[in-house]
Amino acid sequence: MNSRDRTPPEKELKVGFGSLIETRTFEVPAGDAPPWDATTKLSVVGSDADRADGRDKASGRAKYTHDIAFPGMLQAAILRAPIARGLLQNLDLEKARSMPGVAAVIALKEVGKRVRFVGDEIAAVAAPTLDLCRDALEAIVAEYAQEGHTVDFLFADGAPVLDEQGDITDPWPDAGEELTAAFAKAKTTVTGTYRTEVQTHASMESHGAVAKWTDADLDVYMSTQATFGVRGELSQAMRAAGLQCKSVTIHAEFVGGGFGSKFTAGAEGRAVALLAHAANAPVKLVLNRFEEHTCTGNRPAALMQFRAAVDEQGAIIAWDQRSWGGCGHNGQGGGIAIPDHLLAKAARRRERAHQDLATDADPARPMRAPAHPQGFFGAELCIDELAAAAGIDPLALRKQNDAQPLRLQQYELGAERFGWEQARAAAAEAKQDQHARYLRGVGCASARWGNLGNDGRGRGDGPGHGAVCRIHQDGSVEARSGAQDVGTGFKSVLTNLTAEELGIRAEQVRATAGHTTDPSGPAAGGSTTTASLAPVIRHAAFLCKQELAKKAAEHLGVAADSIVFAAGRLSAGDTSMSFGDACKLIGPNPIEMRGERFPNYKGKVFERGVCGAQFAEVEVDTWTGIVRVLRMLAIQDCGIVVAQKPAESQVLGAMIQGIGFALHEQRILDRQSGRMLNGDFLRYKVPGALDVPPMEVIMQSVANGHSNCSAAGLGEAPTCASAAAIANAVFHAIGHPVRRLPITPDKVLAALHQRGGK
Amino acid sequence: MTKDLHDGGAFSRRSFLKGASAAAVGSAALHANADAHQDGPKSYAQGAHAIALTVNGKEHRLQVETRTTLLDALRDTLDLTGAKKGCDRGACGGCTVHVDGLPVNACLMLALDAQATQITTVEGIGRPGHDHPLVLEFARCDAMQCGVCTPGMVMSSLHCLQTNANPDRASVQRAISGNICRCGTYGRICEAVAGAAKRMQGEKR
Ligand code: FES
Ligand code: FES
Repeated sequence: MNSRDRTPPEKELKVGFGSLIETRTFEVPAGDAPPWDATTKLSVVGSDADRADGRDKASGRAKYTHDIAFPGMLQAAILRAPIARGLLQNLDLEKARSMPGVAAVIALKEVGKRVRFVGDEIAAVAAPTLDLCRDALEAIVAEYAQEGHTVDFLFADGAPVLDEQGDITDPWPDAGEELTAAFAKAKTTVTGTYRTEVQTHASMESHGAVAKWTDADLDVYMSTQATFGVRGELSQAMRAAGLQCKSVTIHAEFVGGGFGSKFTAGAEGRAVALLAHAANAPVKLVLNRFEEHTCTGNRPAALMQFRAAVDEQGAIIAWDQRSWGGCGHNGQGGGIAIPDHLLAKAARRRERAHQDLATDADPARPMRAPAHPQGFFGAELCIDELAAAAGIDPLALRKQNDAQPLRLQQYELGAERFGWEQARAAAAEAKQDQHARYLRGVGCASARWGNLGNDGRGRGDGPGHGAVCRIHQDGSVEARSGAQDVGTGFKSVLTNLTAEELGIRAEQVRATAGHTTDPSGPAAGGSTTTASLAPVIRHAAFLCKQELAKKAAEHLGVAADSIVFAAGRLSAGDTSMSFGDACKLIGPNPIEMRGERFPNYKGKVFERGVCGAQFAEVEVDTWTGIVRVLRMLAIQDCGIVVAQKPAESQVLGAMIQGIGFALHEQRILDRQSGRMLNGDFLRYKVPGALDVPPMEVIMQSVANGHSNCSAAGLGEAPTCASAAAIANAVFHAIGHPVRRLPITPDKVLAALHQRGGK
Repeated sequence: MTKDLHDGGAFSRRSFLKGASAAAVGSAALHANADAHQDGPKSYAQGAHAIALTVNGKEHRLQVETRTTLLDALRDTLDLTGAKKGCDRGACGGCTVHVDGLPVNACLMLALDAQATQITTVEGIGRPGHDHPLVLEFARCDAMQCGVCTPGMVMSSLHCLQTNANPDRASVQRAISGNICRCGTYGRICEAVAGAAKRMQGEKR
C-alpha cells in the first residue's frame, strides 16, 4: 500500500457529543476505511456484546502464565536480600548446586555489588518442586556488610520539615511577580499540605513466566503488559549473557492484571530464561504474594503543598504548588499531576517545584494514571477547601473554572443523576443535629487523560503497529494482534471492530492476542492500546471485506463496490447472499490482510484525550472514625466506545481501586529492618465486596475525528478522580479536611477533634 | 532469614492448620476441613505419600508430599488450573473449591487431608459441553476483567446459591467477602449471581 504518497482528501466529519456536535474538516488518508463519526449507526461497536473471552475466564478454561505447564518442567525461586542496604560480600552456591534434584543455580548479583532494598535479587534456583527450590535457597550462603538505610522518605535527604500537624513549615520559595500579584488581589486564599502513601499494584496474578528453549529459540510465557517490549529486553539479556539465541517469542494470551507493574521482564523474567538454559528444561518462576508486594514496583508516596486563591467572581486566579515524591532506591517516578483544566485562569509558578526523594526501598513503577491520583487528591481537595472558604458550592466552582466543554456537560449530567443539590443539602441539614453519630458528605472530582493513540509517527512511537484479519472458507473469522489483553477487554476490541466491519455478530469472530508472532502493538499502558490499534484492526477487516466482496461480486454478477455487509449478509440492490455462503467462495487459503496504522487525522479533533467527572457520597461514623462509601457515579468518555461492557467494567474497577487508595491501602515498611510489614492480603487491605457500594457508570460515546473509528483509551482517566471525590465527600461530612491518605479512623477522629464542637 | 523472607514471614502452613481455627482469617470459605475432621487433622510422616483424591466425581491416584497443599495437587499434578494461587495464605479466595459441598481455600488444606472427600473444582460444575448458568451470567454481566479471581468467585457464588436460591445483594457480598478482586468487579458479580439464580429457577421448573 503506497497510499501515503497520495494527497489525503479532505472529509467533513461530525465530531463531538450531544449539543456540542459540530462539523469539522479532516485530512483522511487515502486507502483507510471510511471514518465513522457522530452520525454513524453502529451495530456491534458500543453494543452490549459479551466480553470475547468471558466464558473462558469464568469457567477456568483460560490458561494464564501461572497455569502453563510442560512435561519435565521445573519450578524456580529467587533468593532475596534480607537487608535494605549493604554490600554482598560472599555468595556460595555450591551447597545448593550439589543438592539432589536441584537442576540449576545462578547468581543474580555479583559479589561486591550493593544491595538496594529488602527483596533485592541475589540468586535463583530451579528444581522439580517448589518445596525443593525453597530447601535449595536455604542452602545458599550469602553474606552482607550491612549499611545504614532510610525507608521513610520524610527522613531522606532533601525532605522538608513538617510540623506536628504534618504541615510544611519552610516558607514558599519566591513566587515571582505575576503569581505574587495574583495572590495579592485574591478575595480568598487557602493553603494546605497533602500526603499520600505507597500503593502496590497487587495484581491477582503475580509476576511470573515459563521459559522453554528449543535449541537456540526461546519461548517465554509471561504475565506481561508489554509483549514486544519484553521480547526485546530478553533477547538483549540473553546476548549479554553470551547465550546463542536465535529468536525470542513471547506468549501472553491471558494476563491476570498488571496496572503498570508488568512493563519489564524484570530480574525474574531474565532469571527464568537463564535457568531454563542452564537446566536444559522448561522452567516456571512465579513470584509469591510477598515478593509481588515488595519487589515489583508501586505507586510512590507524595507530599504536596498547594495554595490557591479565588477572586470576587469565583475565578481561580492563583495557584501555587511544590511537591516531593517518596521513591525507591533509584529516586525516580514520584512526580505528581494535577487537574490543570481547572486552573486555566490561574497565575502559576514558572519553574516546576518538585523533588523526587530516594529511599532504600523497591523503586516505583508506573501505576494506572501515574502521578495523577496523588496529585488530583491533593489539588481537588484544596479546591474544595477553597470553595468552602469562599462560600461557593464546589461543583459550581468547578463549572466556572473548567476549560473543557465536554466535562461541563459531564458535571451537569452527573449532578442531575446523582442528585447533587438534594444530597448536599440533606447532608448539611443532618449535620445540624449536634448529637448525630453518623455524618454524611457528598463530593465530586474531575478526570482527565490526554492520549489519542500511538500512530507510529510521534517521537518515540516506534514502528507503525499492525493487526491481522483472516476469513476462512468455513465462515470463521480471526482477528489477531500481538498486543496483550491484561483484563481491559482488548480482545473485545478485536472482535467488535472486525464484526462491525464485516456485518456479522461479535461471537462469529475469534480474537487472539498476546503472541509476538502476530503484528506488534504498544504496551498496555497510558491508555494507548485501543487508541493505537483500533484503527488498524478495523482497517485489516476493511481490506478483507474488499477481497471477499470481489469474490461475491463475481458470483452475484454485481460490482464489488456496490456490496454492503450488514446483518450477516452481503447485499447489492435486491440481490444478496449470506456471509457464510460468500466465505465458501474463498478456497483453501483464507483471505488474510494486515491492517495499516495511518497517521492520526490532521484537523481539529474534538478532544485531545478523554474527560470524566465522578461523584461520591460517604458516611462518617463519628464514634469510630470509620468512613463508608455509600454510592458513587462516574461519567466518562473514551472516544467512540468500542466494547461497552468491558469499558464500563474498567471504570468501575478504577473507582474501586480509588476506594482502596482513599481509605485503606498503604505499604508499611519497618524503619528498623526496611522490610514490608504488611506484604500480604491480610494486612494490606485491597477493597473487598463489602467495601464497595452501589456504583453507576455512564459512558459517553464521543466522535473525536482523529482516526477511522475515533476510539480513545480508558484505563487511566477514571483512576484520577475516585480518591479525590471520596476525600471531598469526607471533607463535606466532617467540615474539616483529612489531607492525608488513606483516610483511616485515626485521621478521621483527629479531624473531628480539630473541627471542635462545630 | 532466607526462608522467612521467602515465605512472607508468615507462620508455617502446617502449624497454622493444626493450631488455629481458620476463623482468624475472617473468610467464610474455610471451615469444611475442620468439620471433616472433628478430632483435628491427622498427622502424617514427612515425605512422599501415594493417595487418592476424588475430584469432580473422578478418582485420581497421585503422589504428594506431606506438605503439598490441595491447591498444588490440583494445579500441578492434576492440571486443574481453574483454582488460582493468588496468595497461598488463605487471604484471597482465588483457590476456592468445594470439599464435601463446602467452599474451601484449597491453599489452606493439605492434599493428604482431602482424601476420602468429594472435591469439586470450577471445571466440574455445569454439564459436559454446557457452561454452568453462573459462568453464562458472569460472562453476560461482564463480572470480570483480568479474570484471575473469577473462577474462585464462581465457586463462592455457587455455594451461596446452593444455600439460598434467591440471595439478595448483601448475601452475595458476604458470600464472596473472602474473595479479592483487584480489578474491581464486585458489583457485577452480585448482578451475575442474581441472574444465575433466575436462570437456575427457570431450569428447575
Ligand atoms: S490462594 Fe488460597 S486464598 Fe489465596
Ligand atoms: S477480574 Fe482481575 S482480579 Fe478479579
